[in-house]
Amino acid sequence: MENQSARAKSDLSLLAPVLAEYAPQKGSLITILQHAQDIYGYLPADVLFHIAEQTGTTPAKVMGVATFYTQFRFQPVGKYLIQLCDGTACHVNGSAQIAEAIRQHLHIENGGTTADGLFSLNIVACLGCCSLSPVMTVNDDSYGALTPEKAVAILDGLRAKEAAV
Amino acid sequence: MSIRIAVGQGSCGIAAGAAKVFAALEQQLAGSAVSLGTVGCIGMCWLEPIVDLYEDNRLAARLVRICPDDAARIAEAARTGDLSGIAGLTISAEDSRFLEQQTRIALRNCGIIDPNSLESARAAGGYAALEAVLTGKGMTPEEVIACIKVSGLAGRGGAGFPTWFKWNAARQSPGDEKYLICNADEGDPGAFMDRAVIESDPHTLIEGMLIGAYAIGAKEAVVYVRAEYPLAIRRLSHAIDEAKAAGLIGQHILGTDFSCEFRIKAGAGAFVCGEETALIESLEGQRGMPRLKPPFPAAAGYWQKPSNINNVETFANVAWIIQHGGEAFAAMGTEGSKGTKVFALTGKIQRSGLVEIPMGMTLREVIFGIGGGVRDGRQFKAVQLGGPSGGCVPAELLDTVIDYKELSATGAIMGSGGMVVMDDTTCMVSMAKFFLDFTAKESCGKCVHCRIGTKRMQEILDRIVSGDGKPEDLDLLEELCLAVRDGALCGLGQTAPNPVLTALRYFRPEFEAHTAVEKRCPAHACAALLQYEIDAEKCRGCTACARKCPVGAIAGNVRQPHTIDKNQCIRCGACFAACRFDAVSRL
Amino acid sequence: MKQIHFTVNGIPCVCDEGMTILQAARANGIEIPNLCNDERVRVYGACGLCAVEITDGGDGRPLPKLLRACSAKIAEGYAVRFDTDRVTRSRKIALELLMSDHTGDCRGPCQLNCPAGTDCQGYVKKIAQGDFQGAVEIIKEKIPLPASIGRVCPHPCEQHCRRGLVEQPVSIAALKAHAADRDLAGTPFRAAQKPDSGKRVAVVGGGPAGLTAAYFLRLAGHAVTVLDAQAHMGGMLRYGIPAYRLPKDVLDREIALIAETGVTLKNGVRLGRDITLDALRRAYDAVILATGAWASMPMRVPGEELSGVTGGIEFLHGISSQEGEIPDLSGKTVAVCGGGNTAMDACRTAVRCGAEKVYVIYRRTRSEMPAEDIEITEAEQEGVIFRFLTNPAELIGENGRVRQMRLQIMELGEPDASGRRAPVPVEGKYELLDTDLVIMAIGQKPDPAGLDGIFLTNRGTVSADAHSFLTNLPGVYAVGDATNRGASIAIEAIGEAGRCAKVADAALRGESKPYFAPFYSQKAVTAADLADRETVPRCEPPVRDAAERRTDFLPVSLGLTDAAAMHEAKRCLECGCHDYADCRLIRYAQQQPISPERFAGAKNVHQPERRLVTIERDNGKCILCALCVRICEEQAKQGILGLVGRGFPTVIRPEFDRPERISACRDCLLCADACPTGALRIL
Repeated sequence: MENQSARAKSDLSLLAPVLAEYAPQKGSLITILQHAQDIYGYLPADVLFHIAEQTGTTPAKVMGVATFYTQFRFQPVGKYLIQLCDGTACHVNGSAQIAEAIRQHLHIENGGTTADGLFSLNIVACLGCCSLSPVMTVNDDSYGALTPEKAVAILDGLRAKEAAV
Repeated sequence: MSIRIAVGQGSCGIAAGAAKVFAALEQQLAGSAVSLGTVGCIGMCWLEPIVDLYEDNRLAARLVRICPDDAARIAEAARTGDLSGIAGLTISAEDSRFLEQQTRIALRNCGIIDPNSLESARAAGGYAALEAVLTGKGMTPEEVIACIKVSGLAGRGGAGFPTWFKWNAARQSPGDEKYLICNADEGDPGAFMDRAVIESDPHTLIEGMLIGAYAIGAKEAVVYVRAEYPLAIRRLSHAIDEAKAAGLIGQHILGTDFSCEFRIKAGAGAFVCGEETALIESLEGQRGMPRLKPPFPAAAGYWQKPSNINNVETFANVAWIIQHGGEAFAAMGTEGSKGTKVFALTGKIQRSGLVEIPMGMTLREVIFGIGGGVRDGRQFKAVQLGGPSGGCVPAELLDTVIDYKELSATGAIMGSGGMVVMDDTTCMVSMAKFFLDFTAKESCGKCVHCRIGTKRMQEILDRIVSGDGKPEDLDLLEELCLAVRDGALCGLGQTAPNPVLTALRYFRPEFEAHTAVEKRCPAHACAALLQYEIDAEKCRGCTACARKCPVGAIAGNVRQPHTIDKNQCIRCGACFAACRFDAVSRL
Repeated sequence: MKQIHFTVNGIPCVCDEGMTILQAARANGIEIPNLCNDERVRVYGACGLCAVEITDGGDGRPLPKLLRACSAKIAEGYAVRFDTDRVTRSRKIALELLMSDHTGDCRGPCQLNCPAGTDCQGYVKKIAQGDFQGAVEIIKEKIPLPASIGRVCPHPCEQHCRRGLVEQPVSIAALKAHAADRDLAGTPFRAAQKPDSGKRVAVVGGGPAGLTAAYFLRLAGHAVTVLDAQAHMGGMLRYGIPAYRLPKDVLDREIALIAETGVTLKNGVRLGRDITLDALRRAYDAVILATGAWASMPMRVPGEELSGVTGGIEFLHGISSQEGEIPDLSGKTVAVCGGGNTAMDACRTAVRCGAEKVYVIYRRTRSEMPAEDIEITEAEQEGVIFRFLTNPAELIGENGRVRQMRLQIMELGEPDASGRRAPVPVEGKYELLDTDLVIMAIGQKPDPAGLDGIFLTNRGTVSADAHSFLTNLPGVYAVGDATNRGASIAIEAIGEAGRCAKVADAALRGESKPYFAPFYSQKAVTAADLADRETVPRCEPPVRDAAERRTDFLPVSLGLTDAAAMHEAKRCLECGCHDYADCRLIRYAQQQPISPERFAGAKNVHQPERRLVTIERDNGKCILCALCVRICEEQAKQGILGLVGRGFPTVIRPEFDRPERISACRDCLLCADACPTGALRIL
């Protein structure tokens, strides 16, 4: 993430309302970072610097907080963010095979994004839908009782939808 | 006669397709007098999506595993009042027993009321306890604490610390500025009790928190919710807005001198933030690294002010206790553990979902009675309680009663309520590794024992499941576990060895099989330890296996028995899955 | 203020109310181990080293959990212990875990491979700075005979010197000899000596081992007498090593310095002949056996009893010490059997005695020869003929005198246990070699005479405990060539004697301090890691021309000049950690035996980096105590440093790569000061 150039120019004005609301409230750094990620899709280095400046803290602190939590990303993600649950119930019910199927199908590793920028894969701790295990979410949609074939079919469906547009 | 339709739309109901069912019903019912509403999660997850039909607020029919195609039939039945057409969709008597055997306090409104409606909550008795505390004769904070003390309510997050004691300590702490915090950072993989409560009945949580805030003297309450629970956050913030508009949150609540503001803080993905001091760090916008205790939060917590932290389920019991009296709550349970406990029953279980039962029931009653036992006709092997901080309980201890002390004696813990059932295909070594993978990844990195210790434990387990384990690794692992338990800074690290220690305690021969010279995984789960063979008698020479084999390790002519070259075999199991004649055996 | 009464490890203590256990102990002069605590910043609780057990919580009952002394408050009646099994186990594992993810060299490979543990990097640095006296002070912490050892040592330090991965190792041994020579030429350094203890120690044997033990025990305040069977002190340094390698006046002067410390030297006293061990034990509080290995091993071939067949040690004895006649070997053919340094000493001595032809018979090839390469080269220069892959099969005599040697022709087979390819006879292939003198230099063994009641090993050496150096007899220690594995190089004997002196000194003072090899963190370095280093050719002392030196016993080496020595010393890569002396991590890690290798696993890989102007950070040595981060934030009020990531891969970094931010660093150096290890280095 440090290699990513701090010179990359993000439109910092987008962040102004967020900073106006939260910067005066102490302890709001995580909230600000969450909003920033919603705006930019990830946390670009210049945005992190800007947040540090505007909140009166140091970049080291902002970086420390941002890299502590798994929610934060430092690279852009694909249009579809696949979150595959590897909670206990999903694990017991075969989430590893689903992960393998997705990896092979999309040719990406956990945390990676497909070359066409369509899909990103994140294996996450627990989505809390244990009874439907194994489960994944793609953006806001949840899919339960997955099999490797079913998971691949869902992704193919999304890809077909994109191709149609 | 009017019929009301309620569609269960918790996260898992939605994941199972409830939103589509809802949309279909909405379409079918357009222009009809039948009312259609949303409820939360009833906890019968294996039957989702669930649609309830109410006749004058009496449950007339519970329809299960509904798909959008059923909407027309359901709408028709609702319009006409003739339910015969949907008889086939109705829950079976056997499945109904899942709920009948439960005693619901924390979950009392879940799946029954509309989580997006204050009115619905109030109709179910919501905020009556708050009114009783604040208005009329009222109760002093001390009386509230005394009532909670009588109830015997203990922290449902896992540690089981008496709630009244924490409240009292925070109340006694000097200072005007105090905070009440709800820990909704439900991070245990395999647990979703808190999510269900917030998604299904947010007002019960708010009411419990308001009573708690009143008791300790806090003017501000914060709910720290996992970011992975977007629906819970949406419903809770809607509920807070509604409650605020109704004068139940904010200044001069119910016209009294008691004021309390509410805030939601979304977590950002760190299991360790379930530890109360780490949660406070996170609330303050810092890295969620635990603080040393003492000082305890009751003395110096959020912003160094006296703070009290309880989990969702704990708060969800409070209003009921105030309304029914501490004695009523204490009447349930065992000598040392009072009231009820919610469990998320999952894994290799017939009926998985949310279970709330009085303390004192046995594990067998929950798993086999309520849950219907192990699914697919397999053999029960163990049940995992308390997630990464807990441990597994083997079949021979199934008659252990659910009680803080009794469960701790097994080496497992009550935990926050994760109850994952495992069958004979589950390898206990690989389960232990799964939990260590989790804790090692979630370690905040602050203290040496946890940062490096869990990593090394994970590596040793990894070695064992990969077939590189040595017999002496087991002693080394145990020694390391005990040292980490003794030396880690916070609860996460101190309890991280539990899954390994219990697995070693009850399933040591299984570990030994992995590390012995011949290296075997008795559950046939560890890929690296498996060997595949083709039974020449059974093989029809269909070539399915040879075609599936990714490394070309299978040789043989069409209609002739095939063979596997063990040196080339990468043990992926593709042949095993491909064979239609049961000719490939796994050793 | 209220006073609190408590105990720490059983020692009664008092302090003011409100202190942490760590502070309370410190107020009573007791330091509970800790790494992440610093009074200048808030408590943190990361390292876990300060874990203590409260064996009495003031009410007669122990506390169930271990407490972190840095945060738990002291309370009335507490019995605090950090020496219980449970606490030491916890601390041991914490240290093992830390070390399992620690990448760095506590000490350079030179020092770690020196059998005496000499701080080579330390004295080489002093020499580079022109501080020769300082260098000698460092050398003499381990070696009381540096001018001699500098000349004769096969220097394992140089074999492992990382400069060798760049081009050639630093000439460590020659540097040592140079510094020591300068010292002898001026006012020699005298080490501080402890007041007399009143204890008496007898050292049997005045070779490198005996003299070293005597020297260090004397410095420790004991009355030491060295008894030696020979006419003069020095053992093999005098009687084995030829004068052209070690001039005897150099040895004499170094021995004289030892005598000046007050060690009594008695020659001509042979154990078993002139005095019994029993008598020594009665007369002294401790006896140290350093009798050496003076008997040449036989070759076990027919004809060994012929006249004209002798052992290497026997051949060298009178010549090397210059106490005997120099035999005239002119016109004679000499065959030396063996490939070690004694064989080289023997063949080169034979050359100097005028022999016409000198052969070295060795059953493997040159690359397997245990002798030092320079010795082989110099012998070749002096005309010695090497017959590799030959082995004596029979000595053929005439009138009782050896005339010929039948040589079995050998070839190299599979590697043996030592890793060297084993020589195997080529069936039926023999050669005859005419010879007038056969010198057997294939090994030495001790003479057990006089060692009454002492248990021997199956090799015939004295059996001594590896940790206490004690023999089976109480108060009798044994070191050097006479013990356990038998004869080895002088520095090995010196190292052992030094360690034994420490253990014996403690025992004489009533303490038990057995020796355990201290733990050192070591990292693997390859030539590729050093590819960016500029090559600087090795500077060796000049030697006299072979034609000239082969006729006399004057020194071969002419030594280094000051300028050459300083130039050579500057080639040192300084592999050892700059912070070794102040590193709290290694201090604790060496207080008890630890084995981090049992937790060997993934390591975080880091290279030293310079992101702040004046500080180099090596995260390989970082223990994530975050003291630098905390002190920068809390004391320096800068907050430039931060923790990045979480869990095992967590790392401390100055923020990003933005120069304008990093310039916020005010060079206060508080971070480097607070760092308990060598992760931060002020440039």
